[in-house]
Amino acid sequence: MKNVHIAGGALHVVGRHYDKNIDDMAAVVLDRALAEAGVDIDALYVASSTTELANKQQLLGVYILESLGLDKLPTFRVENGDNSGAAAIAAAYYAIKSGEHHCVAVVGVDKPHDLLSNQQQDVYSTVLDAYFEKYFGFTPLSYAAMMAKAYMKRYEYRYEDLAMWPILMHDHGVSNPNAYFRKRAKLEDVMNSELVSEPLRLYDVGPLVDGAAAVVLCSRGGGPRILSIATASNTTPFGLRTDYVQLYSTMNAAEVAYKKAGITPRDVATAEVHDSFSIFGVLALEGLGLVERGATLRLLKNGDFPVNYSGGFKARGNVMGATGVYQLLEVTWQLEGRGFKRVDGNYGVIHSMGGVDRISTVIVVGV
Amino acid sequence: MKHESVPIYWRNVPQYYRLVGKRCKKCSKLYYPPVVRCRCGSREFEDVALPHEGKLVEYTVLYQVGTDFLKQKPLIVGLVEVADGVRIPSQIVDVQPEKVTLGMRVEAVFRRVSTDGRHGLVMYGCKFRPVDL
Amino acid sequence: MIGVVSWGAYIPKYRIRTEEVARVWGDDSLRIVDVYLIDEKSVEGLDEDAVTIAVEASRRALKRGGIDPKRIGAVYVGTESKPYAVKPISSVLVEALGMSNNVYAVDMEFACKAASEGLIAAVGLVETGRVEYGMTVGADTSQGEPGEHLEYSASSGGAALVVGREGVVAEMEAVYSYVSDTPDFWRRDGSPYPMHGEGFTGEPAYFRHVINAARGVMENHGYKPSDFTYAVFHQPNGRFPVRAASTLGIPIERVKPGIVVTHIGNTYNASALLGFAKILDVAKPGDRVLLVTFGSGAGSNAFVFKITDLITERQDKTNTVERMLQNKIYIDYARYLKMRKMVKLFE
Repeated sequence: MKNVHIAGGALHVVGRHYDKNIDDMAAVVLDRALAEAGVDIDALYVASSTTELANKQQLLGVYILESLGLDKLPTFRVENGDNSGAAAIAAAYYAIKSGEHHCVAVVGVDKPHDLLSNQQQDVYSTVLDAYFEKYFGFTPLSYAAMMAKAYMKRYEYRYEDLAMWPILMHDHGVSNPNAYFRKRAKLEDVMNSELVSEPLRLYDVGPLVDGAAAVVLCSRGGGPRILSIATASNTTPFGLRTDYVQLYSTMNAAEVAYKKAGITPRDVATAEVHDSFSIFGVLALEGLGLVERGATLRLLKNGDFPVNYSGGFKARGNVMGATGVYQLLEVTWQLEGRGFKRVDGNYGVIHSMGGVDRISTVIVVGV
Repeated sequence: MKHESVPIYWRNVPQYYRLVGKRCKKCSKLYYPPVVRCRCGSREFEDVALPHEGKLVEYTVLYQVGTDFLKQKPLIVGLVEVADGVRIPSQIVDVQPEKVTLGMRVEAVFRRVSTDGRHGLVMYGCKFRPVDL
Repeated sequence: MIGVVSWGAYIPKYRIRTEEVARVWGDDSLRIVDVYLIDEKSVEGLDEDAVTIAVEASRRALKRGGIDPKRIGAVYVGTESKPYAVKPISSVLVEALGMSNNVYAVDMEFACKAASEGLIAAVGLVETGRVEYGMTVGADTSQGEPGEHLEYSASSGGAALVVGREGVVAEMEAVYSYVSDTPDFWRRDGSPYPMHGEGFTGEPAYFRHVINAARGVMENHGYKPSDFTYAVFHQPNGRFPVRAASTLGIPIERVKPGIVVTHIGNTYNASALLGFAKILDVAKPGDRVLLVTFGSGAGSNAFVFKITDLITERQDKTNTVERMLQNKIYIDYARYLKMRKMVKLFE
């Protein structure tokens, strides 16, 4: 089987990029990633969660390539909700593994700030069942809030304990030059922030931001590589879950990903997890087996933990369908000590989730 | 007016108005929302209206809402258990947020859900409200 | 025997006090309460309208009677608060109640009288054998211009009656109608609030029609005022029904039990029917009830019902009117404007 190396990559600083069209923003990072890799690609995979809803554009890959003057290349767009980025990486990974392609680029891009905040809620909520959940006003946030309640009840935590998550994320965001928020948060900042879906407050929500990231994967060359990728869906409707304090799709994907990579959670030196809402970050750590179930918030009180050195969704920002690509580069760079303090170890994990535990992708990266 | 899809609304009217679910003819498992194939493998279903009473098993008071609900916030949204293994995501209405309790008995009520602007369709559906308050 | 088989009532939970409305518009609330005998009125929730109210009232009627909706062959809705100028409420009822598609269905308009006209039509269809059961529903989110006196009464509520031959709890013994072109109250097409003739709504309109219909049913069918255990009238305010009863020689204590306007205001098409539902909640076998509806423009239907032995089986099967009168959440004028959708919004 072919190896899949990370040959190059580039991130766009996240934010509100009112001055850029979505295709051009993606083209800028793709151009830089290709330059760094210094290779010709066989195909382009585009990850975008909401391009037709937010930016009124389909067939995004063609317009990105047009912006760079690259002709004749095959290009495919992957939509998997918030999980789009990791899913596109998976598709590219499989293309190389199969031997069909040697070098493939993945670009993830989303621009929620082409919309008003309420329209962003509409678009973001389309990962829920449009006819039986979103129709009645549910949003991913409302489900996260119910899971937070269940978790706090099950493991006897107070809201102050959950507040540890955004505080840690803000701490980490300070040293990430690409983060949306680069300032520390104090307990009272979190506690005094507005209630958005009780018990969750504004600090529990990762802000939706415009962003684009590109990575070039190759079967040749050396450097860090993707050791395994696994995706698992969870088709149980939210109302019928047997448990609200675990992420089934994450656990199932993680189990396969670790097995394929031949590692255990103990080998993981750093992880970037999907914490669109703080409770999901907590549940992701436990789903990945990095922390014992129910113990995360107690652990965070004792100090730092090697998760989301980027600042996560809370401080780096929620770049929606681009997130998986950001995470892959962040974890790789943390292992290499590039732009981040080098972590002590050889393996990193990224966790990406679509909807509220409807699908998860886990990627193991090794140096 | 947003020109909401009329067919989408129309085809889901039995679920929205009467909570019509699907019951497997072979193993009697109840599905809401409806599915095409039962977990037992059967594809034979009958329509069955779910009970209109149940209990609230979890909820949240939601302040950050989508466009259709901007003028209705906060929304109390939760899960209502109407039968063994059937929990419906629903709005809870006619009650102040501070009076909502877990395990509270609730009954289905027919309500407006959203309107397609001033001139478009008014869309209805079931919500739940406390029986005893 | 043909008559009412079951009844259902629905009153939204929200109330605004007369005092609160008067505070906003600079009226003397003691005088207003004294003139209209309305302490507070019901207000529909933000997510309610005549359609949702009609569904709730009729669902309760079916529940109370244990009636299979597929056996209802006719459904009539009387309202002057249709959310759509064109698109029936009755067809929503067909779907929401799970009725058969082979059903006579129409929305009717004759100001506050339409729902009682539906009752006559439904009884007629049962009588000819065309349908097994028929249903009529009165439901309104009544309009009244803010700051105008109508605002003190215009309120929201609904009532539904199922009629048939089997399981009759109130036999319809007689009915008499009285109609004339009397412009006491109207709402032009496209106009948000009705206009009315103030005092003119009394003598030439309400009293002339109510009294003539009531006298008509008594004279034509041989009843005396003393035959009625209860008398229920359309209730635009608390004074009119009492005065009508007094003119007819019916003692006030027989009218009072059917008065709901004091607590919820005028629910237009549901006004007299909610009063009638409240009586059915407490009536005893053998009681005789006079029901007189009124619609501006103008006309009255006067009905005589005889309560049967089955009544006791149906009472307390679902929410009583009395319980709904007690079960309430008070709102201020600002929330009232929001709930009644009277704040101008971009939509």
